[in-house]
Amino acid sequence: MLRKLLKHEWKSVNKVLLPVNLCIILITIVGCTVLNTDIFDTEESWPIALFLLIFYVLSLMTFASITLIYIYVRFYKNLFTAEGYLMHTLPVTPIQLFHSKLIVGFSWSAFNCLLTLFSTAALGFSAIVTVAKEENIDHISRFFLDDPIVNNRNQTFSFSEMFGYPPATFLILILLLLLTGCLVSIIMGYLSILLGQLMEKHKLAASIGFFIVIYFFMQMVTSIAILLPNSNALVNAMDNDTSVYFMNIFYRNLFPASIISQIILSAAFYFASCLLVRRKVNLD
Amino acid sequence: MTLIECNALTKKYGNFTALSNLDLQIESGHIIGLLGPNGSGKTTLLKLITGLLQPSSGTISINGEPVGAASKSLISYLPDHTYLDRNMRVRDAMDFFEDFYQNFDSMRAYEMLAQLAINPNHKLKTLSKGTQEKVQLILVMSRRANLYILDEPIAGVDPAARDFILNTILSNYDENASILISTHLISDIENILDEVIFIQNGNLHTHASVDDLRQKEHKSIDTIFREVFKC
Repeated sequence: MLRKLLKHEWKSVNKVLLPVNLCIILITIVGCTVLNTDIFDTEESWPIALFLLIFYVLSLMTFASITLIYIYVRFYKNLFTAEGYLMHTLPVTPIQLFHSKLIVGFSWSAFNCLLTLFSTAALGFSAIVTVAKEENIDHISRFFLDDPIVNNRNQTFSFSEMFGYPPATFLILILLLLLTGCLVSIIMGYLSILLGQLMEKHKLAASIGFFIVIYFFMQMVTSIAILLPNSNALVNAMDNDTSVYFMNIFYRNLFPASIISQIILSAAFYFASCLLVRRKVNLD
Repeated sequence: MTLIECNALTKKYGNFTALSNLDLQIESGHIIGLLGPNGSGKTTLLKLITGLLQPSSGTISINGEPVGAASKSLISYLPDHTYLDRNMRVRDAMDFFEDFYQNFDSMRAYEMLAQLAINPNHKLKTLSKGTQEKVQLILVMSRRANLYILDEPIAGVDPAARDFILNTILSNYDENASILISTHLISDIENILDEVIFIQNGNLHTHASVDDLRQKEHKSIDTIFREVFKC
Protein backbone atom coordinates (compact mmCIF):
# COMPACT_ATOMS: atom_id res chain seq x y z
CA MET A 1 0.00 0.00 0.00
CA LEU A 2 2.90 2.38 0.69
CA ARG A 3 4.00 1.93 -2.93
CA LYS A 4 0.51 2.94 -4.13
CA LEU A 5 0.43 5.92 -1.79
CA LEU A 6 3.84 7.01 -3.09
CA LYS A 7 2.70 6.65 -6.70
CA HIS A 8 -0.32 8.92 -6.21
CA GLU A 9 1.59 11.35 -4.00
CA TRP A 10 4.28 11.72 -6.67
CA LYS A 11 1.67 12.26 -9.33
CA SER A 12 -0.09 15.04 -7.41
CA VAL A 13 3.03 16.82 -6.14
CA ASN A 14 4.82 16.66 -9.50
CA LYS A 15 2.06 18.72 -11.11
CA VAL A 16 3.09 21.73 -9.00
CA LEU A 17 6.76 21.21 -8.15
CA LEU A 18 8.00 20.03 -11.53
CA PRO A 19 7.25 23.39 -13.27
CA VAL A 20 8.64 25.32 -10.28
CA ASN A 21 11.93 23.44 -10.38
CA LEU A 22 12.13 23.52 -14.17
CA CYS A 23 12.18 27.31 -13.80
CA ILE A 24 15.48 26.97 -11.86
CA ILE A 25 16.98 25.04 -14.79
CA LEU A 26 15.66 27.68 -17.17
CA ILE A 27 17.14 30.67 -15.31
CA THR A 28 20.44 28.77 -14.94
CA ILE A 29 20.66 28.19 -18.70
CA VAL A 30 19.76 31.84 -19.39
CA GLY A 31 22.26 33.02 -16.75
CA CYS A 32 25.13 30.91 -18.12
CA THR A 33 24.37 32.02 -21.68
CA VAL A 34 24.34 35.70 -20.69
CA LEU A 35 27.62 35.33 -18.73
CA ASN A 36 29.32 33.81 -21.77
CA THR A 37 28.60 36.88 -23.89
CA ASP A 38 30.44 40.22 -23.79
CA ILE A 39 27.37 42.12 -22.49
CA PHE A 40 29.03 42.96 -19.16
CA ASP A 41 32.42 43.96 -20.54
CA THR A 42 31.71 47.68 -20.19
CA GLU A 43 31.39 49.49 -16.86
CA GLU A 44 28.03 51.01 -17.95
CA SER A 45 26.44 47.56 -17.97
CA TRP A 46 27.41 46.76 -14.35
CA PRO A 47 24.17 48.15 -12.80
CA ILE A 48 22.21 45.81 -15.09
CA ALA A 49 24.49 42.94 -14.06
CA LEU A 50 23.86 43.76 -10.39
CA PHE A 51 20.11 43.91 -11.01
CA LEU A 52 20.19 40.52 -12.78
CA LEU A 53 22.26 39.02 -9.98
CA ILE A 54 19.73 40.22 -7.36
CA PHE A 55 16.88 38.92 -9.54
CA TYR A 56 18.63 35.54 -9.81
CA VAL A 57 19.21 35.21 -6.06
CA LEU A 58 15.63 36.29 -5.25
CA SER A 59 14.30 33.81 -7.82
CA LEU A 60 16.23 30.93 -6.24
CA MET A 61 14.95 31.94 -2.80
CA THR A 62 11.38 32.17 -4.11
CA PHE A 63 11.52 28.75 -5.79
CA ALA A 64 13.00 27.17 -2.65
CA SER A 65 10.27 28.79 -0.50
CA ILE A 66 7.49 27.71 -2.88
CA THR A 67 8.80 24.13 -2.82
CA LEU A 68 8.97 23.96 0.98
CA ILE A 69 5.67 25.79 1.63
CA TYR A 70 3.84 23.66 -0.95
CA ILE A 71 5.12 20.46 0.74
CA TYR A 72 3.77 21.71 4.09
CA VAL A 73 0.45 22.86 2.59
CA ARG A 74 0.04 19.56 0.75
CA PHE A 75 0.56 17.61 4.00
CA TYR A 76 -2.00 19.74 5.85
CA LYS A 77 -4.58 19.95 3.06
CA ASN A 78 -4.41 16.31 2.02
CA LEU A 79 -4.63 14.90 5.55
CA PHE A 80 -6.50 17.42 7.68
CA THR A 81 -9.06 19.18 5.46
CA ALA A 82 -11.85 17.79 3.21
CA GLU A 83 -9.34 15.59 1.32
CA GLY A 84 -8.51 13.93 4.66
CA TYR A 85 -11.94 12.25 4.54
CA LEU A 86 -10.69 10.25 1.56
CA MET A 87 -7.12 9.68 2.75
CA HIS A 88 -8.09 8.54 6.25
CA THR A 89 -10.74 6.13 4.97
CA LEU A 90 -8.27 4.33 2.68
CA PRO A 91 -7.29 0.82 3.82
CA VAL A 92 -3.84 2.00 4.92
CA THR A 93 -2.28 2.69 8.30
CA PRO A 94 -1.70 6.29 9.46
CA ILE A 95 2.06 5.64 9.56
CA GLN A 96 2.00 4.62 5.87
CA LEU A 97 0.25 7.89 5.05
CA PHE A 98 2.91 9.80 7.00
CA HIS A 99 5.81 7.95 5.36
CA SER A 100 4.45 8.55 1.86
CA LYS A 101 4.29 12.30 2.54
CA LEU A 102 7.72 12.29 4.18
CA ILE A 103 9.47 10.40 1.36
CA VAL A 104 7.96 12.52 -1.42
CA GLY A 105 8.37 15.78 0.52
CA PHE A 106 12.02 15.07 1.36
CA SER A 107 12.81 13.92 -2.20
CA TRP A 108 11.42 17.12 -3.71
CA SER A 109 13.05 19.34 -1.10
CA ALA A 110 16.42 17.59 -1.61
CA PHE A 111 16.05 17.84 -5.39
CA ASN A 112 15.31 21.56 -5.07
CA CYS A 113 18.39 22.09 -2.85
CA LEU A 114 20.67 20.13 -5.19
CA LEU A 115 19.30 22.00 -8.18
CA THR A 116 19.92 25.32 -6.43
CA LEU A 117 23.48 24.24 -5.60
CA PHE A 118 24.03 23.08 -9.17
CA SER A 119 22.61 26.35 -10.51
CA THR A 120 24.89 28.55 -8.38
CA ALA A 121 27.89 26.32 -9.20
CA ALA A 122 27.11 26.50 -12.93
CA LEU A 123 26.77 30.29 -12.84
CA GLY A 124 29.88 30.61 -10.69
CA PHE A 125 31.83 28.43 -13.11
CA SER A 126 30.59 30.50 -16.07
CA ALA A 127 31.60 33.72 -14.28
CA ILE A 128 35.07 32.30 -13.48
CA VAL A 129 35.58 31.24 -17.09
CA THR A 130 34.53 34.71 -18.26
CA VAL A 131 36.84 36.48 -15.77
CA ALA A 132 39.67 34.05 -16.50
CA LYS A 133 39.68 35.16 -20.12
CA GLU A 134 41.44 38.23 -18.86
CA GLU A 135 43.24 36.88 -15.80
CA ASN A 136 45.04 33.66 -14.98
CA ILE A 137 42.79 30.61 -15.31
CA ASP A 138 45.64 28.39 -14.17
CA HIS A 139 45.69 30.20 -10.82
CA ILE A 140 42.00 29.38 -10.15
CA SER A 141 42.08 25.81 -11.39
CA ARG A 142 45.18 25.07 -9.24
CA PHE A 143 43.26 26.32 -6.19
CA PHE A 144 40.39 23.88 -6.87
CA LEU A 145 42.95 21.09 -7.40
CA ASP A 146 44.18 21.82 -3.85
CA ASP A 147 47.57 23.16 -4.99
CA PRO A 148 49.04 26.06 -2.94
CA ILE A 149 48.50 29.53 -4.40
CA VAL A 150 49.66 32.99 -3.33
CA ASN A 151 47.15 35.78 -2.57
CA ASN A 152 47.63 39.55 -2.96
CA ARG A 153 49.01 39.76 0.65
CA ASN A 154 51.72 37.30 -0.35
CA GLN A 155 50.21 34.51 1.80
CA THR A 156 50.53 30.98 0.45
CA PHE A 157 47.61 28.64 1.04
CA SER A 158 45.72 25.76 -0.56
CA PHE A 159 41.98 24.95 -0.66
CA SER A 160 42.44 22.50 2.26
CA GLU A 161 44.23 25.13 4.35
CA MET A 162 41.50 27.65 3.67
CA PHE A 163 38.39 25.48 4.06
CA GLY A 164 39.70 22.73 6.33
CA TYR A 165 39.00 19.92 3.84
CA PRO A 166 40.14 18.89 0.34
CA PRO A 167 37.71 20.09 -2.41
CA ALA A 168 35.99 16.69 -2.90
CA THR A 169 35.41 16.20 0.86
CA PHE A 170 34.21 19.80 1.12
CA LEU A 171 31.65 19.17 -1.63
CA ILE A 172 30.44 15.93 -0.01
CA LEU A 173 30.04 17.74 3.33
CA ILE A 174 28.07 20.56 1.69
CA LEU A 175 25.77 17.96 0.12
CA LEU A 176 25.34 16.18 3.45
CA LEU A 177 24.62 19.49 5.17
CA LEU A 178 21.99 20.35 2.56
CA LEU A 179 20.32 16.93 2.69
CA THR A 180 20.15 16.83 6.50
CA GLY A 181 18.89 20.43 6.40
CA CYS A 182 16.11 19.43 4.00
CA LEU A 183 15.18 16.44 6.16
CA VAL A 184 14.98 18.41 9.38
CA SER A 185 12.96 21.21 7.69
CA ILE A 186 10.38 18.79 6.27
CA ILE A 187 9.91 16.82 9.50
CA MET A 188 9.80 20.03 11.55
CA GLY A 189 6.93 21.33 9.35
CA TYR A 190 5.04 18.04 9.58
CA LEU A 191 5.55 17.88 13.36
CA SER A 192 4.20 21.43 13.75
CA ILE A 193 1.08 20.53 11.76
CA LEU A 194 0.56 17.35 13.80
CA LEU A 195 0.97 19.29 17.05
CA GLY A 196 -1.56 21.85 15.80
CA GLN A 197 -4.08 19.04 15.38
CA LEU A 198 -3.97 18.43 19.13
CA MET A 199 -5.75 21.76 19.71
CA GLU A 200 -9.53 21.89 19.97
CA LYS A 201 -9.79 25.09 17.89
CA HIS A 202 -7.62 27.25 15.58
CA LYS A 203 -5.55 24.25 14.53
CA LEU A 204 -3.86 25.97 11.60
CA ALA A 205 -2.85 29.02 13.68
CA ALA A 206 -1.59 26.65 16.38
CA SER A 207 0.50 24.78 13.78
CA ILE A 208 2.14 28.04 12.67
CA GLY A 209 2.80 28.90 16.33
CA PHE A 210 4.39 25.49 16.94
CA PHE A 211 6.51 25.92 13.80
CA ILE A 212 7.91 29.23 15.06
CA VAL A 213 8.67 27.80 18.51
CA ILE A 214 10.33 24.64 17.10
CA TYR A 215 12.30 26.73 14.57
CA PHE A 216 13.79 28.91 17.32
CA PHE A 217 14.49 25.83 19.44
CA MET A 218 16.24 24.20 16.49
CA GLN A 219 18.33 27.32 15.77
CA MET A 220 19.33 27.49 19.41
CA VAL A 221 20.36 23.82 19.58
CA THR A 222 22.31 24.03 16.30
CA SER A 223 24.10 27.23 17.35
CA ILE A 224 25.08 25.74 20.70
CA ALA A 225 26.22 22.52 19.00
CA ILE A 226 28.45 24.49 16.63
CA LEU A 227 29.80 27.20 18.92
CA LEU A 228 30.09 25.72 22.41
CA PRO A 229 32.54 22.82 21.83
CA ASN A 230 34.67 24.95 19.51
CA SER A 231 34.58 28.33 21.22
CA ASN A 232 38.24 28.21 22.34
CA ALA A 233 39.47 27.19 18.90
CA LEU A 234 37.43 29.96 17.27
CA VAL A 235 38.65 32.64 19.73
CA ASN A 236 42.25 31.52 19.13
CA ALA A 237 41.63 31.63 15.39
CA MET A 238 40.24 35.19 15.62
CA ASP A 239 43.35 36.25 17.59
CA ASN A 240 45.51 34.77 14.86
CA ASP A 241 46.54 37.22 12.21
CA THR A 242 45.48 35.22 9.18
CA SER A 243 41.84 35.13 8.06
CA VAL A 244 42.68 31.91 6.24
CA TYR A 245 43.40 30.16 9.53
CA PHE A 246 40.06 31.39 10.99
CA MET A 247 38.11 30.08 7.98
CA ASN A 248 39.90 26.75 8.27
CA ILE A 249 38.90 26.35 11.93
CA PHE A 250 35.38 27.64 11.26
CA TYR A 251 34.60 25.24 8.41
CA ARG A 252 36.30 22.28 10.05
CA ASN A 253 34.00 22.70 13.07
CA LEU A 254 30.88 23.89 11.29
CA PHE A 255 30.26 20.88 9.08
CA PRO A 256 30.44 17.96 11.55
CA ALA A 257 28.61 19.87 14.31
CA SER A 258 25.81 21.06 11.97
CA ILE A 259 25.34 17.70 10.26
CA ILE A 260 25.27 15.73 13.51
CA SER A 261 22.91 18.18 15.25
CA GLN A 262 20.56 18.12 12.21
CA ILE A 263 20.55 14.31 12.17
CA ILE A 264 19.77 14.18 15.91
CA LEU A 265 16.99 16.77 15.56
CA SER A 266 15.54 14.94 12.53
CA ALA A 267 15.43 11.68 14.50
CA ALA A 268 13.80 13.39 17.50
CA PHE A 269 11.20 15.15 15.31
CA TYR A 270 10.55 11.92 13.38
CA PHE A 271 9.84 9.86 16.51
CA ALA A 272 7.63 12.63 17.95
CA SER A 273 5.70 12.77 14.63
CA CYS A 274 5.26 8.98 14.58
CA LEU A 275 3.84 9.08 18.10
CA LEU A 276 1.35 11.79 17.08
CA VAL A 277 0.40 10.01 13.85
CA ARG A 278 -0.31 6.77 15.76
CA ARG A 279 -2.55 8.73 18.12
CA LYS A 280 -5.38 8.37 15.56
CA VAL A 281 -7.03 11.19 13.68
CA ASN A 282 -9.97 13.37 14.74
CA LEU A 283 -11.35 15.20 11.71
CA ASP A 284 -13.92 17.63 13.14
CA MET B 1 -24.64 -11.49 10.86
CA THR B 2 -23.75 -8.40 12.89
CA LEU B 3 -21.90 -5.89 10.74
CA ILE B 4 -21.62 -2.94 13.12
CA GLU B 5 -21.69 -3.14 16.89
CA CYS B 6 -21.46 -0.04 19.07
CA ASN B 7 -21.27 -0.40 22.85
CA ALA B 8 -21.76 2.59 25.17
CA LEU B 9 -20.38 4.81 22.40
CA THR B 10 -19.78 8.37 23.53
CA LYS B 11 -18.23 11.31 21.72
CA LYS B 12 -17.60 14.65 23.39
CA TYR B 13 -16.30 17.89 21.86
CA GLY B 14 -15.05 19.75 24.91
CA ASN B 15 -18.08 20.09 27.17
CA PHE B 16 -20.56 19.26 24.39
CA THR B 17 -21.70 15.63 24.17
CA ALA B 18 -22.44 14.77 20.53
CA LEU B 19 -23.19 11.09 21.19
CA SER B 20 -24.06 9.63 24.56
CA ASN B 21 -23.79 5.95 25.57
CA LEU B 22 -25.05 4.66 22.24
CA ASP B 23 -25.67 0.91 22.00
CA LEU B 24 -26.40 -0.21 18.45
CA GLN B 25 -26.23 -3.33 16.31
CA ILE B 26 -26.60 -3.31 12.52
CA GLU B 27 -27.01 -6.55 10.60
CA SER B 28 -25.88 -7.38 7.05
CA GLY B 29 -28.20 -7.09 4.08
CA HIS B 30 -30.31 -4.11 5.10
CA ILE B 31 -30.82 -0.52 3.98
CA ILE B 32 -30.95 1.57 7.12
CA GLY B 33 -31.97 5.20 7.39
CA LEU B 34 -30.10 7.16 10.03
CA LEU B 35 -32.57 9.92 10.76
CA GLY B 36 -32.49 12.93 12.98
CA PRO B 37 -32.59 16.72 12.89
CA ASN B 38 -29.49 18.82 12.30
CA GLY B 39 -26.96 18.46 15.11
CA SER B 40 -28.48 15.26 16.46
CA GLY B 41 -25.21 13.30 16.09
CA LYS B 42 -25.75 11.48 12.77
CA THR B 43 -22.54 12.62 11.10
CA THR B 44 -20.57 12.08 14.31
CA LEU B 45 -21.76 8.45 14.44
CA LEU B 46 -20.81 7.89 10.79
CA LYS B 47 -17.37 9.45 11.31
CA LEU B 48 -16.78 7.23 14.33
CA ILE B 49 -17.67 4.14 12.27
CA THR B 50 -15.33 5.19 9.45
CA GLY B 51 -12.48 6.01 11.84
CA LEU B 52 -12.43 9.74 11.09
CA LEU B 53 -13.19 10.44 14.75
CA GLN B 54 -12.09 8.58 17.87
CA PRO B 55 -14.68 7.84 20.56
CA SER B 56 -14.34 9.55 23.94
CA SER B 57 -15.45 6.23 25.45
CA GLY B 58 -17.14 3.02 24.36
CA THR B 59 -16.28 0.68 21.48
CA ILE B 60 -17.15 0.08 17.84
CA SER B 61 -16.49 -3.08 15.86
CA ILE B 62 -16.97 -3.74 12.17
CA ASN B 63 -17.43 -7.41 11.32
CA GLY B 64 -16.07 -8.18 14.77
CA GLU B 65 -12.86 -6.17 14.24
CA PRO B 66 -12.00 -2.76 15.73
CA VAL B 67 -11.92 0.21 13.37
CA GLY B 68 -8.63 0.19 11.42
CA ALA B 69 -7.09 -0.44 8.02
CA ALA B 70 -8.92 -3.80 7.71
CA SER B 71 -12.36 -2.37 8.54
CA LYS B 72 -11.78 0.52 6.12
CA SER B 73 -11.45 -1.92 3.22
CA LEU B 74 -15.00 -3.16 4.03
CA ILE B 75 -16.61 0.29 4.15
CA SER B 76 -17.42 2.54 1.21
CA TYR B 77 -17.99 6.03 2.57
CA LEU B 78 -19.62 9.04 0.95
CA PRO B 79 -19.22 12.17 3.13
CA ASP B 80 -21.60 15.13 2.99
CA HIS B 81 -19.09 17.21 1.00
CA THR B 82 -16.59 16.80 -1.83
CA TYR B 83 -13.45 15.03 -0.66
CA LEU B 84 -11.58 14.57 -3.92
CA ASP B 85 -8.63 16.72 -4.97
CA ARG B 86 -10.33 19.16 -7.35
CA ASN B 87 -7.22 19.32 -9.55
CA MET B 88 -7.69 15.63 -10.40
CA ARG B 89 -9.27 14.51 -13.65
CA VAL B 90 -12.26 12.17 -13.28
CA ARG B 91 -10.06 9.41 -14.77
CA ASP B 92 -7.39 10.03 -12.08
CA ALA B 93 -10.03 9.59 -9.37
CA MET B 94 -11.08 6.29 -11.01
CA ASP B 95 -7.43 5.12 -11.08
CA PHE B 96 -7.04 6.14 -7.44
CA PHE B 97 -10.02 4.02 -6.33
CA GLU B 98 -8.96 1.11 -8.52
CA ASP B 99 -5.48 1.13 -6.96
CA PHE B 100 -6.60 1.22 -3.35
CA TYR B 101 -9.77 -0.86 -3.39
CA GLN B 102 -9.60 -4.41 -4.71
CA ASN B 103 -13.40 -4.45 -4.79
CA PHE B 104 -13.68 -1.43 -7.11
CA ASP B 105 -15.45 -2.27 -10.38
CA SER B 106 -14.00 0.27 -12.82
CA MET B 107 -16.00 -1.04 -15.78
CA ARG B 108 -19.25 -0.34 -13.95
CA ALA B 109 -17.96 3.07 -12.91
CA TYR B 110 -17.12 4.04 -16.50
CA GLU B 111 -20.55 2.78 -17.64
CA MET B 112 -22.25 5.05 -15.13
CA LEU B 113 -20.09 7.99 -16.19
CA ALA B 114 -21.10 7.36 -19.80
CA GLN B 115 -24.81 7.20 -18.83
CA LEU B 116 -24.47 10.65 -17.30
CA ALA B 117 -22.33 11.95 -20.18
CA ILE B 118 -19.49 12.84 -17.81
CA ASN B 119 -16.19 13.05 -19.66
CA PRO B 120 -13.49 11.15 -17.69
CA ASN B 121 -10.84 13.51 -19.03
CA HIS B 122 -12.42 16.57 -17.45
CA LYS B 123 -10.88 18.04 -14.33
CA LEU B 124 -13.14 17.87 -11.27
CA LYS B 125 -12.85 21.63 -10.72
CA THR B 126 -14.40 22.26 -14.15
CA LEU B 127 -17.53 20.26 -13.21
CA SER B 128 -20.56 21.70 -11.42
CA LYS B 129 -20.99 20.88 -7.71
CA GLY B 130 -23.86 18.50 -8.55
CA THR B 131 -21.77 16.66 -11.15
CA GLN B 132 -18.86 16.38 -8.72
CA GLU B 133 -21.24 14.82 -6.20
CA LYS B 134 -22.43 12.36 -8.85
CA VAL B 135 -18.83 11.39 -9.68
CA GLN B 136 -18.18 10.81 -6.00
CA LEU B 137 -21.33 8.70 -5.65
CA ILE B 138 -20.34 6.64 -8.72
CA LEU B 139 -16.92 5.98 -7.15
CA VAL B 140 -18.42 4.96 -3.82
CA MET B 141 -21.19 2.76 -5.29
CA SER B 142 -18.82 1.06 -7.77
CA ARG B 143 -17.13 -0.74 -4.92
CA ARG B 144 -18.31 -4.20 -3.85
CA ALA B 145 -18.19 -3.22 -0.19
CA ASN B 146 -19.80 -4.88 2.84
CA LEU B 147 -21.08 -1.57 4.15
CA TYR B 148 -21.96 1.64 2.33
CA ILE B 149 -22.12 4.73 4.50
CA LEU B 150 -23.80 7.63 2.74
CA ASP B 151 -23.95 10.94 4.59
CA GLU B 152 -26.70 13.17 3.18
CA PRO B 153 -26.36 11.80 -0.39
CA ILE B 154 -29.44 13.65 -1.66
CA ALA B 155 -29.18 16.94 0.18
CA GLY B 156 -28.78 19.98 -2.04
CA VAL B 157 -29.40 18.28 -5.39
CA ASP B 158 -32.32 18.72 -7.78
CA PRO B 159 -35.17 16.11 -7.92
CA ALA B 160 -33.85 14.56 -11.17
CA ALA B 161 -30.43 14.10 -9.59
CA ARG B 162 -32.13 12.62 -6.51
CA ASP B 163 -33.77 9.97 -8.70
CA PHE B 164 -30.41 9.16 -10.27
CA ILE B 165 -28.74 8.89 -6.88
CA LEU B 166 -31.41 6.62 -5.43
CA ASN B 167 -31.43 4.44 -8.56
CA THR B 168 -27.64 4.23 -8.43
CA ILE B 169 -27.73 3.18 -4.78
CA LEU B 170 -30.43 0.56 -5.34
CA SER B 171 -29.01 -0.93 -8.52
CA ASN B 172 -25.39 -1.12 -7.40
CA TYR B 173 -25.27 -2.61 -3.96
CA ASP B 174 -24.72 -6.23 -3.17
CA GLU B 175 -27.72 -7.87 -1.47
CA ASN B 176 -25.50 -9.13 1.34
CA ALA B 177 -24.16 -5.66 1.99
CA SER B 178 -25.78 -3.00 4.14
CA ILE B 179 -26.35 0.64 3.41
CA LEU B 180 -26.48 3.22 6.16
CA ILE B 181 -27.98 6.46 4.83
CA SER B 182 -28.02 9.61 6.90
CA THR B 183 -30.62 12.17 5.86
CA HIS B 184 -33.41 14.43 6.99
CA LEU B 185 -35.18 14.24 3.60
CA ILE B 186 -37.14 11.20 4.68
CA SER B 187 -40.02 11.21 2.20
CA ASP B 188 -37.54 10.81 -0.68
CA ILE B 189 -35.92 7.67 0.67
CA GLU B 190 -38.64 6.17 2.84
CA ASN B 191 -39.61 3.58 0.24
CA ILE B 192 -36.16 2.07 -0.06
CA LEU B 193 -35.48 1.67 3.67
CA ASP B 194 -35.66 -1.61 5.61
CA GLU B 195 -34.89 -0.12 8.99
CA VAL B 196 -34.72 3.29 10.59
CA ILE B 197 -32.61 4.66 13.41
CA PHE B 198 -33.82 7.89 15.03
CA ILE B 199 -31.16 9.87 16.85
CA GLN B 200 -32.10 12.73 19.13
CA ASN B 201 -29.57 14.93 20.97
CA GLY B 202 -26.91 12.24 20.70
CA ASN B 203 -29.14 9.50 22.09
CA LEU B 204 -30.73 6.53 20.33
CA HIS B 205 -34.47 7.25 20.19
CA THR B 206 -35.72 4.41 17.96
CA HIS B 207 -34.21 1.51 16.05
CA ALA B 208 -36.91 -0.49 14.29
CA SER B 209 -38.00 -2.14 11.07
CA VAL B 210 -39.77 0.29 8.73
CA ASP B 211 -42.66 -2.12 8.18
CA ASP B 212 -43.11 -2.76 11.92
CA LEU B 213 -43.06 0.94 12.69
CA ARG B 214 -45.58 1.79 9.97
CA GLN B 215 -47.92 -1.00 11.11
CA LYS B 216 -47.64 -0.03 14.74
CA GLU B 217 -48.16 3.69 14.24
CA HIS B 218 -50.33 3.56 11.08
CA LYS B 219 -48.32 6.47 9.74
CA SER B 220 -45.51 7.03 7.26
CA ILE B 221 -41.95 7.27 8.57
CA ASP B 222 -41.92 10.90 7.45
CA THR B 223 -44.97 11.67 9.62
CA ILE B 224 -43.55 9.78 12.60
CA PHE B 225 -40.26 11.69 12.20
CA ARG B 226 -42.11 15.03 12.15
CA GLU B 227 -44.00 14.12 15.32
CA VAL B 228 -40.93 12.85 17.17
CA PHE B 229 -38.75 15.81 16.26
CA LYS B 230 -41.45 18.51 16.42
CA CYS B 231 -39.92 21.86 17.38
